Amino acid sequence: MTLQPVTHTPDSISDSIVFHGPLSELYRLAAEGKIPTRLQGSHTRPCKFWTAAKILSGIRGAIVLTHGPGGCAFGIKQAYKLTNCRNSGAVYEPVLSTSLDQSGIVYGGEKELKGAIAEVDVKYSPDVVFVATSCATGIIGDNVDAVIESMRGKVKAELLPIHCEGFAGEYRSGFDLVFGELVKLMDAPTPAERERLSKSVNIVGAKMGPERTEVDTDVKELIRLVTAMGARVNAVIAGNCSLAELKRAPSVAVNCALCLDIGYAVGTAMRDTFGTPLNSTILPYGIAATEKWLTGAAEHLGLVGEAKALMRAEYEAIREPYERAREHLAGKTAIIEGRDAIKSLSIAYMLQQDFGMRAVIYNFHPWSVEARETSIDYMLGAGLDPEILITKGALAFGKYESMKQTEDELLRFLGELDPRQTVYFGSSLSFPSIPLVDLNAILNRPRFGYRGALKVAECIKTALDYAFRPRSALAKRIVFPENAGLSSAASLTPKLAQDLPDCTVYAGARRRGQCPMN
Amino acid sequence: MPDELKFENCSHSKDPLVGCALEGVATVLAGIRDVGIVIHSPQGCSATVALGYDHQEIDFTQRKTACTRLFETDIIMGATDKLKDLILHADKTFGSKVTFVVGTCAADIIGEDIEGVCRVLQPKTGSRLIPIFAGGFRGDAYAGMDLALEALVGIMKDPEGAGGTQGARSVNLIAPQASLNPTWRADLAWVRDVLARMGVAVQSVLTRDAGMHELRHASFASANILLSHDVGRGMARKMEEAYGIPLILADQPLPIGLGNTSRWLTALGERFGAEAAARDLIARGESLVVDVLRRRGLMIIPRYRNCRMALCADATFGVGLARMLFEELEMLPELILLRSGRPEAKALLAAELASLGISPQVACNVDGYQTRRALADSNVHAVLGSSWEKYLARELGIQLAFDVLSPTDRDAYLDRAYFGYEGMLNMLEVIANDFERALRSKEIAWENYDPQPAPERV
Repeated sequence: MTLQPVTHTPDSISDSIVFHGPLSELYRLAAEGKIPTRLQGSHTRPCKFWTAAKILSGIRGAIVLTHGPGGCAFGIKQAYKLTNCRNSGAVYEPVLSTSLDQSGIVYGGEKELKGAIAEVDVKYSPDVVFVATSCATGIIGDNVDAVIESMRGKVKAELLPIHCEGFAGEYRSGFDLVFGELVKLMDAPTPAERERLSKSVNIVGAKMGPERTEVDTDVKELIRLVTAMGARVNAVIAGNCSLAELKRAPSVAVNCALCLDIGYAVGTAMRDTFGTPLNSTILPYGIAATEKWLTGAAEHLGLVGEAKALMRAEYEAIREPYERAREHLAGKTAIIEGRDAIKSLSIAYMLQQDFGMRAVIYNFHPWSVEARETSIDYMLGAGLDPEILITKGALAFGKYESMKQTEDELLRFLGELDPRQTVYFGSSLSFPSIPLVDLNAILNRPRFGYRGALKVAECIKTALDYAFRPRSALAKRIVFPENAGLSSAASLTPKLAQDLPDCTVYAGARRRGQCPMN
Repeated sequence: MPDELKFENCSHSKDPLVGCALEGVATVLAGIRDVGIVIHSPQGCSATVALGYDHQEIDFTQRKTACTRLFETDIIMGATDKLKDLILHADKTFGSKVTFVVGTCAADIIGEDIEGVCRVLQPKTGSRLIPIFAGGFRGDAYAGMDLALEALVGIMKDPEGAGGTQGARSVNLIAPQASLNPTWRADLAWVRDVLARMGVAVQSVLTRDAGMHELRHASFASANILLSHDVGRGMARKMEEAYGIPLILADQPLPIGLGNTSRWLTALGERFGAEAAARDLIARGESLVVDVLRRRGLMIIPRYRNCRMALCADATFGVGLARMLFEELEMLPELILLRSGRPEAKALLAAELASLGISPQVACNVDGYQTRRALADSNVHAVLGSSWEKYLARELGIQLAFDVLSPTDRDAYLDRAYFGYEGMLNMLEVIANDFERALRSKEIAWENYDPQPAPERV
């Protein structure tokens, strides 16, 4: 992609730019250590324990037994299990803890763990018990593996240790760790089982459990497409899959990655261990990515003809409104919030491939370059090299999602673009001076597949059609309260923090409490 | 304790319904105005601190937290320099009057000298640095709240040394946040209002929107009142020892339901020579309840008369609701499951049940498994508790679940008290609406129509 020239004026965006260039260049600078890739102390993410537990929460009939103080178990139960009950029709799901106290820390908690495994087996009769270590037990050095070894055969459940101390890696490492460990529960394929599952796939890279019962979700859409192609889904790993489904998972025709980065870990582990093929593409936003996803699956399923017929039928079902919407989009520019690295890359892919738009990812934190290497490799391998803009605010202390600095910087950047030709992909809690598309809104589902492509196209068109309507004054006042102090959204709950835009709230002497973008 | 339930296989494993000490500490610190918090921990603990801010509903523009984000090498090599840098950075950026430096499990276990760091850096910072050890293994969230509250006693001024005197008619309100009312701020507001009507000043609220001046002068109050049966006794005891401030009204249920509210107000009035004001509050309040229920809730008692109830709560609400359900609503609390279990609260509950002449099954410090087991083994018609118990009830085939307490599935935009007379009506309103939702049709029974019309939209 050719970079657009930026006019350098004394007060222009160029004063604030840390990096503006193609993704490949950012990748190179990060690899050479020429751009900082560490998060600031104010930029916290969930820890490895939380992300590991999120994947473990997606396995039905399993018990997560956390070895440590009770708070770690309570936190993930509150965050994941309560949500599953509320949204997804799940029964009450416990998260167990050895609930170590001070004496456990001083004298060790191995005896407690042994007792807990035995108790859990009797109380819940689970198929599998995952023993998840916490910071506390990681530091005191309890020999969890030995305890588990000593309990094998004494309890009915299978046992698997998960060494996911919160300090033991970046948050993303919890996903990778668990997906890698789950492979240990799987059975090697047999010819008979391979034959039986020759028209089945696993969708890999899901997390947390069952899909929402009342929402047409992205995963449901992928299952619909797989089924319509004449195949079956053996398991969504780890989206409410059972131990039995996991065990036979390696025998399917192909693993299809739901999320390139997260699905890649389990997909490659299964490929390397059992030879299960992996169909790994970027998130199937838009038609180009969806067709790659479906074609990749069909080739392994021996359903290429069926897939082509399905793709034709699916496209035909959306063709008229989709093409009408697309006409408005070609040649326009999209600014994409870079907070969710994978999603921003996937949206950029869709906008460039499907709609012929120019995509600029705004404040894709350099930290993500290391954390999201797989997706970046894929993008670059596919010949796509979206523009990245990183401003000083993204690297400042505070919360980069919520710094006044980033908001000012974004405004100045947008000020150099034509608002009639530009859309902003981000949270509805932000107030850019250009039409805004919020793909996270619950009504904008599914976003994957053909129906998703139409949904996205219509969202963009709707945003442009109603660009004349100013954003709600009420909404702005809610997000930008009067007399707001220095923002530090770092301490928001993860859920709320994720909802915040790149440019939410700030302190500042000059325009305190006001959104400078309006 | 009457008919205390025993559970097998629960000695080593727990399905906790309460967070850890760090959450409790954060819940107290977040109730202090204009503070910064530096968390010396791996990054996940930031989310736990955020829960404290959430519980206090502190505007997200006012949250000043930073985390050292400890990783493996920090655990092995120590991270004192990292902590020092972050404290200085946070002090400069946040500009807070006070910065709490909180050590969680990891920092606590590896022995980071947080106190020493604060001492060394104090001359270089604009804010006062206060270290707190809050390893999650130090107890549950209730224990954490006690930990933080007791630490605050250390920053209070000695009234004698400061040349001041304790006000004769002023109180501190302790631990309003240790409550399962999802909008507990309204309970605090109700207590403040009642005190104002009796001519009693509130010296400090420990802690809710408390300024440092307010905290430091809490020692000038003439009495302490706990707004929780689960938290605050340690702080009250320390304040009594240090400043001679008595703890009052702690030996009776909090003002939940008509009878308890009347007793609580009467005792408060007697303590401060405001008997007439207490009588007036009681008369007006009881009149309000009767009047509203006559007009809008005539069936509230007949509908549930002798309904066998499971009550799942903390002690703050569990103790008070036992009397309200049995004596005033003519329900039968047959199973009482408390998430907490301080000895004083257990004794108070036992005394209440004895005075009511009932012997329900009771268990304290229950976890999720014990709650499920007890509900499954019971023969109750309904459960009053949180959304956790609501889901359990649904799973177990218990038709009615009143989702009154936290965590609740209910969106509450306006704060609603559960204490006092309006508080009783607020709880009854939830019960009435949940009853209607449980027993009314949710879908059109298309099978009753012939031919069956097809839905127009799929």
